[in-house]
Amino acid sequence: MAFLSLEGLTKRYADVAAVADTNLTIEKGEFVSLLGPSGCGKTTTLQMIAGFVDVTEGRIVLDGRDVTHAKPSSRGLGVVFQSYALFPHMTVADNVAFGLLMRKVAKSERDERVRKALSLVRLDAHAERYPRELSGGQRQRVALARALVITPPVLLLDEPLSNLDANLREEMQYEIRRIQREVGITTLMVTHDQSEALSISDRVVVMEAGRITQIDAPYRLYEHPRTRFISDFVGKANLVGGRAGSAGQQEVCKVGEGDFQLSLRPEKIRLTEVGQGLLDGEIRTRFFLGSQWLYRVETPLGELTVVRPNEGSLPLEDGTRVGLVWSTELLRPLEEDVRA
Amino acid sequence: MSRNGPLALSFHALVVIFMLAPLVVVCLVAFTPENTLSLPTSGFSLRWFEAVFERADFLDAFHNSLILAFSSATLATLIAVPAALAITRLHFPGRDFLNALFLSPIIIPHLVLGVAMLRLFALMGVSGSFSWLILAHVVVITPYVLRLVLAAAVGMDRSAEQAAESLGAGRVSLFCRITLPMILPGVAGGWLLAFINSFDEVTLSIFVTSPATQTLPVRMYVYATESIDPMMAAVSALVIALTVVTMVVLDRVYGLDRVLVGKQ
Repeated sequence: MAFLSLEGLTKRYADVAAVADTNLTIEKGEFVSLLGPSGCGKTTTLQMIAGFVDVTEGRIVLDGRDVTHAKPSSRGLGVVFQSYALFPHMTVADNVAFGLLMRKVAKSERDERVRKALSLVRLDAHAERYPRELSGGQRQRVALARALVITPPVLLLDEPLSNLDANLREEMQYEIRRIQREVGITTLMVTHDQSEALSISDRVVVMEAGRITQIDAPYRLYEHPRTRFISDFVGKANLVGGRAGSAGQQEVCKVGEGDFQLSLRPEKIRLTEVGQGLLDGEIRTRFFLGSQWLYRVETPLGELTVVRPNEGSLPLEDGTRVGLVWSTELLRPLEEDVRA
Repeated sequence: MSRNGPLALSFHALVVIFMLAPLVVVCLVAFTPENTLSLPTSGFSLRWFEAVFERADFLDAFHNSLILAFSSATLATLIAVPAALAITRLHFPGRDFLNALFLSPIIIPHLVLGVAMLRLFALMGVSGSFSWLILAHVVVITPYVLRLVLAAAVGMDRSAEQAAESLGAGRVSLFCRITLPMILPGVAGGWLLAFINSFDEVTLSIFVTSPATQTLPVRMYVYATESIDPMMAAVSALVIALTVVTMVVLDRVYGLDRVLVGKQ
C-alpha cells in the first residue's frame, strides 16, 4: 500500500510543462531521492507535494487522502529548504517550537518535544542561540529538527546539503540517514548530486526534462543505467557502440558505427600486458584521485577512461602501451535518450 | 577590513565639519545674552530658552508638529507595508503604475503640491482642518516608508514564509510572527524617516496650515520673516537636542544599525 503517491502529476507554465505526467509511489518509511540536473522539474515536483505550487493536472494522495489542492498548512508535511529558511528573529528553540505553537500544543509538552528534537540532531547546547550565530551544518540541523518535531507523515528535503562544503556534506549525509532511520520517517529528497542520492537513498528517481526516466535502487541504477544520459549523470561511463556479430555474439565498435550503444564503467576495465587483452591502447594522461588512479587510454574504440585502485605500487607512465580487458556481460546496452 | 588613507580621512573630516558646523554655530548662538544673532562673547545666558517657553504659540506649534508627524508617519506606514508586499509578491495589472504612483510625490516639488492642495482643500471646504493636514503629509512621506519597506521585502527569504506555512501557520500568524518581524527594520526605519520628514516639512505646510494648525517649522518661518533674534537659535537648539536624544535612545533600545541599515 503506497503511503505517498503521485498520479499523473503535471505542472504547466503557459505552454511549457515543467513536470509532465509523473507517477511515483513511495512506501511508508522509505527514503527516496529525486535526482536530476537543474531545471528537470524535481524541485517543482517537491513544491507541488508541499503545496507551494499549484498542480495543473493529476493527483497527490497522502496516506489515502487526496491532498492535491489542500493548503500547505493543512498537509502537515515537514519541509527542509536549501536555504534552511530559519526564522532569523527567533532562537533555535523558538524556531523548533513554531510548528507546535501553531498546533496549540501546551507549553510543558512543547518544551519537552523541542528538547527531544534538538537532542535528536545533537544541538541541545544551542537552544538559546540565534540562527546567525550558528554554522551552516548547525542551521541545517535546526531546520531538520523544526521539520521533524511536528511528527510529519512525510519529510521533504530540498537540496538539503548543497550549501555545505564537501566534508560537512558527507557528514550530514550520514546524519540525515541516521535520523531518518531512527525516526523511521518517509522521506523524499531532491538533489542534483548523484553521489548524495546513491549513498543515502533506498530508491533513486531520475528526472529529465520534466519526466521520470528511471526508478531503481542505487546499486541497480548505477549498474544498469537505462539511457545514455543516466549512465553519464550517475557515475562516469565509457560509451561504445555495439552490433550483432557472427554466431549471435555481440561485438563492440566505435560509437556511431554500431546499431546500439553500450555503457562500460571505468572501474570495470582492467589493464594488462599488450596483446593479452580484448584490445590494445596507449595511456594518454593519468590523474591521481587519492584512492584511485584515473587513466585516459587511446584505443581503436576511441578514448576510454579506466579507473584502477591505488594499491601502493607506482602507476603506469604516460605513453605506456597496455592491453584492456573486461567481462562482456558488464557492457550495458542503453536506450535512446528521452527528448522532451 | 581596509583602512582609509590620509587623503580619504581628511576628506571625511571635511565633510563632517561641513555638515556639523552650522548646527554647532546655531547651538552656540542660542546661549547668547545679546539681542542679536551673535556668538556669546560676554558670557552664557539661558534668556532665549526662557523666552521660547513663554511663547504659547511656539509650544502649540511644537505640539501640533509632534502629533502631525506621529499620526502621518503611522498612517503612511499602514499604507506602505501592504503596498510594498503586494508590489513585491503579486503580479497584477497596473502593478508598475501603482509603484510609480506611490513614489511620485518625491518627484513633484512640494511647492506645486502645496498650491494644488491649498486650492483643493478650499474647494472641498476643509481649509485649515488638521485631519486634512495629516493626509497631505501622508501623501508626501509615504514614498520614504515605501522605499525602505520595498527594500526589506525584496531582500526577504520567501522560503521562511513557506516553512512557516508548512508548519501550520495561517495567514494572520504568518504575517504577525514571520513576515512583519522579518521586514521590521525596514518598517521601523521607514517610519522614522517619515516622522522626520513630516516634522521638518515647511514648503507644503505653509499652504495648508491655518493659525490653529500651524506647525513648528511654519511658526519659525513666519517668525523669522518678521524679526530675527536669538530665540530662533534657541528653538533650533531644542529641536536638535530632541533629535539627538531620540536617536540615542533608539540606538540603546534597538540599535540604529538595525533600524536604518537592517543589520541583524
